[in-house]
Amino acid sequence: MVVASVSQTLLRRFNFFDKEVVKDPETNQVFEKLKDINISSCASGRGQIVIADCEGTVYMINRKFQITAFKAYDIRVSHLYQLKQFNILLTVGEDEEGVNPLIKVWNLDKFEKGIPLCSRICRAIPSNKPTPVTCLTVHENLNWMAVGFENGCVVIFKGDVKSDRHSKTWTVYENQKPITGLAFRPTGKNTILFVATDNCVLSINLSAKDKTTILEQFGCSLGCSLMSDSNQDHQFVIGRQDGVYFYQPDCRGPCVVIEGEKLRLEWFRGYLIIVGKEKPLLKASSSHSLEMHTLTVYDMQNKFVAHTAPYPDVIDVLCEWGSLYVLGGDRKLYQLQEKDTQTKLEMLFKKNNYTLAISLARSQQYDQEGLIDIFTQYGDHLYGKGDHDGAIDQYIKTIGKLEASYVIRKFLDSQRIHNLTKYLQALHKAQMATEEHTTLLLNCYTKLKDVSKLDEFIMTKDREVDFDVETAIKVCRQAGYYEHALFLAEKHAKHEWYLRIQLEKIKDYQKALEYIGNLEFAEADDNLKKYGKMLMSKIPDQTTELLKKLCTDYRPSNRLLVDQSDLDGSVPKIQKASAEEFIHIFVNNSAKLTEFLEYMIKTKPNSPSLLYNTLLELYLHDIVHEGEDIEAKNEKQRRTLDLLQNPDANYDLDQALVLCQMNNFKAGILFLYEKAQLYQQILRYHMEHSENVHVIETCKKFGQHDPQLWVQALSYFAKKEESCKPQLMERNLLPPLLVIETLAHNSTATLSIIKDYIIRRLQLENDQIAEDERLIKQYREDTEKKRKQIEELKTTAKIFQNSKCSICSHPLELPSVHFLCEPHSFHQQCLESYAENDTECPVCLPENRKIMDIIRAQEQSKDLHESFHNQLERSQDGFSVVADYFGRGVFNKVTVITDSNARFSASPPGRNLSSQFS
Amino acid sequence: MSYAYLFKYIIIGDTGVGKSCLLLQFTDKRFQPVHDLTIGVEFGARMISIDGKQIKLQIWDTAGQESFRSITRSYYRGAAGALLVYDITRRDTFNHLTTWLEDARQHSNSNMVIMLIGNKSDLEARRDVKKEEGEAFAREHGLIFMETSAKTAANVEEAFINTAKEIYQKIQDGVFDINNEANGIKIGPQHSPTNPNMPSGGGSAGQSGGCC
Repeated sequence: MVVASVSQTLLRRFNFFDKEVVKDPETNQVFEKLKDINISSCASGRGQIVIADCEGTVYMINRKFQITAFKAYDIRVSHLYQLKQFNILLTVGEDEEGVNPLIKVWNLDKFEKGIPLCSRICRAIPSNKPTPVTCLTVHENLNWMAVGFENGCVVIFKGDVKSDRHSKTWTVYENQKPITGLAFRPTGKNTILFVATDNCVLSINLSAKDKTTILEQFGCSLGCSLMSDSNQDHQFVIGRQDGVYFYQPDCRGPCVVIEGEKLRLEWFRGYLIIVGKEKPLLKASSSHSLEMHTLTVYDMQNKFVAHTAPYPDVIDVLCEWGSLYVLGGDRKLYQLQEKDTQTKLEMLFKKNNYTLAISLARSQQYDQEGLIDIFTQYGDHLYGKGDHDGAIDQYIKTIGKLEASYVIRKFLDSQRIHNLTKYLQALHKAQMATEEHTTLLLNCYTKLKDVSKLDEFIMTKDREVDFDVETAIKVCRQAGYYEHALFLAEKHAKHEWYLRIQLEKIKDYQKALEYIGNLEFAEADDNLKKYGKMLMSKIPDQTTELLKKLCTDYRPSNRLLVDQSDLDGSVPKIQKASAEEFIHIFVNNSAKLTEFLEYMIKTKPNSPSLLYNTLLELYLHDIVHEGEDIEAKNEKQRRTLDLLQNPDANYDLDQALVLCQMNNFKAGILFLYEKAQLYQQILRYHMEHSENVHVIETCKKFGQHDPQLWVQALSYFAKKEESCKPQLMERNLLPPLLVIETLAHNSTATLSIIKDYIIRRLQLENDQIAEDERLIKQYREDTEKKRKQIEELKTTAKIFQNSKCSICSHPLELPSVHFLCEPHSFHQQCLESYAENDTECPVCLPENRKIMDIIRAQEQSKDLHESFHNQLERSQDGFSVVADYFGRGVFNKVTVITDSNARFSASPPGRNLSSQFS
Repeated sequence: MSYAYLFKYIIIGDTGVGKSCLLLQFTDKRFQPVHDLTIGVEFGARMISIDGKQIKLQIWDTAGQESFRSITRSYYRGAAGALLVYDITRRDTFNHLTTWLEDARQHSNSNMVIMLIGNKSDLEARRDVKKEEGEAFAREHGLIFMETSAKTAANVEEAFINTAKEIYQKIQDGVFDINNEANGIKIGPQHSPTNPNMPSGGGSAGQSGGCC
């Protein structure tokens, strides 16, 4: 008995059942209607408790504790079996004296005169040797019934339990020892019957030729075996002095040491109920005459005692109406009402037995919310006890339901940072973390200096990111874990962050640059614009290289040269950045800028003007700041000039000019002036620099474009008192009056200087006049001659003496046509075939037509006043234009009506209009 | 789940050496720092694969307490393998090995493969029994030896699987009579059509879940 108490202390004890003596609901007195019944067997199910007595009566007690009874046997009832799924009661009893057990099957749904319908009566005798029945069991499928006998036989009744028909009976097992327990396994493919005897436990597979498996070499006493429910996998259970043993159909299962002599075993909702002999101590104290028993309820799954109490001489334990009913030797019914889960849990909480509470809640299919509530309470409890590690484990289980801030606030103390970290990690794993949580977690890591954890959190590749990347980067950056920040930034393509950290914190410019080089075009472009200046100041060479690439034919440097799109045959899209946007990057590094620009211009000749301008500026700047080295200076000037002269160079002329001027780059200025056709400027430039030779040259070179140059040169020289004027004068380009006027303005120029010039000019003029007059005279004579000719043609006869046709050169024959012009004569035949019309001489026609065209053209254009004015303005010699127009007959409106000859009288000199009309 | 063989194991050793934790780690892959005392015998099962063959391990985890010895002893019978466990931080558990071994040898069949396990190898700082001592003991008694940690799961799988390999080898060598179930070895249902009465795999799993 001492051992028994030891074993019981091993299991925790609770009282999860309320014990109550059943009262008669009618009288509200203790239920004592069973007082006088000599109880032989009890059963329960289908909403009633069934009790049989030794007088052959069966009593049925309903929920209201009303009793109905009927006489089942003449002599006595020894066994009852109530099916759980059918309202069928089986009884074993005797109608005759002697050992003569009869099995009766009662249908409790059909009553006849207060007696249920007895659907079957059969004798229970194994192999013709009468022997008392010890136990009876029925399979819930109503197809199998097994009866155990005192002589060690087990008889199987196969077929419908309710009727005799088609029933097959055989003895399945024989042994020397009485059968003490029988049970069908209610599940599984095979029909398994467990048999317990005094000295062994076995299973019989009725589906497989009654294959018998001995499971144990010891047995149990009557009433100490049962079939457990699904909680224990429908194992067969036997109770022995030393413990409780479980059996699978084919082998032993676990065993639990519960010592003490066992009288009865019952199974109720996963609880094992053991009725055992009371300890002598209590028995002695009891004044009751009845022997005291102890009833203990074990939770086999969670391993604790749910109830234990002494009862007087327990006859049976019945499970009905959701409670346990203990029928005591005092014929009283004791109800054991299981407490509800919440109450049980509260009891466990009070004892701070949270672990058990959790497993209990789980086994009772408690919902998630309830479980989390327990976790929270457990966590709070552990926290209160100072077990922060344990507490956090519990809190972690509440993630998703319990407000995270509740937990976090508890652990914000720096002492608890480990726990907090763990919690936050779990939070992230559960994907419940917010930005703040990420920040906090990373801060924890950094505070703890737990680089390995941080590594794990951040660096683990292929891991799904369960945190806000940007926050993580920020925190890492702040805490100085740049590598982590970089890793994150790179992995998640947060280029800006990557570069900021790389540049501002780590200052690894090379890496940053490489990173940019690996980016897609648009990103590379953006970032280089942003960080280019900084990169340029640190690693100009590489930056320049990258820029060159970016601005010409960019492709991320980690990309294969021939990528898929190339292979597909599609035209690779070349992206180029505009170089001008990067110029500002090169501030303070003109050498690199020069290099860059040169490269750009070389590779892309049609670059925007800004590039050229800038390059020019750089060149000029270079020249100015070049030291004494003449050669280098020349080289640079040459280079600059090359740029300027490059026909592709798309620089802005004005700006280039301003630049050249600012930097005093003579060659450039002059070239640009020339290019811009600013000849005056060239001239002035030379004048300003007193380069007389160049002045003259300029005049010579550009004089024909702009005669004003000469005038200016003249006035310049006039001011200069130098003797190069004759040269100018000899050019003979300026009207003498202008020359004189120009010189007259000048105080230094004396008449003597130009005396020769003037004389010469006058002489020339005179010659010209004379020549002109001679021409006039000649024209007049011509005109006169023509007039005479016309007159002649009009008045006198003309003799045609031609003997040959002017077309075919054959002697003329009649009929012939003669023209008055040369005179020309033709065969009429020839003329007709040759000439377009026969009113004009075909020989003279082309010449005449030409003249006529000229005249017509002149007449047409004479009315175009605007073009006349234009010409007049543009012309250096307005007079000749006017004269020309006179020649065209601007003013001779009259002539239109007069004789056509009058036209020619007005023709200007120099025009040879010797034409005749037929 | 069908299997080619079923091996029965038994885990023995002093109380508190971590027998139940070893089993829990092997069957459920978890560790429970606070564990109720094992009262009687508990039961766990897991499938492993050796040589491409599915082998079901049925493991009896016994109570280490002296007072339960009489009950647990009956489970030695019909075990093909035994894990004899001691705690490397408690020398007395090592000292009791001889008693355990005698007990095991006496109550089991002679071919039973016994693996000696020094558990709690994660508690290196509190080590009381040197690894070499364990090795020496194993050599002396013809056992396989291994140090494990049920907490960190170090060597736990190996301990169970190596034992199974040893048993498997013995079957191949014909040492075990596989038709005698008293040897703790059973041929799977699909390998012996005459023996269709087998426990369902689900049942064993449910059992292992409830063993703690």
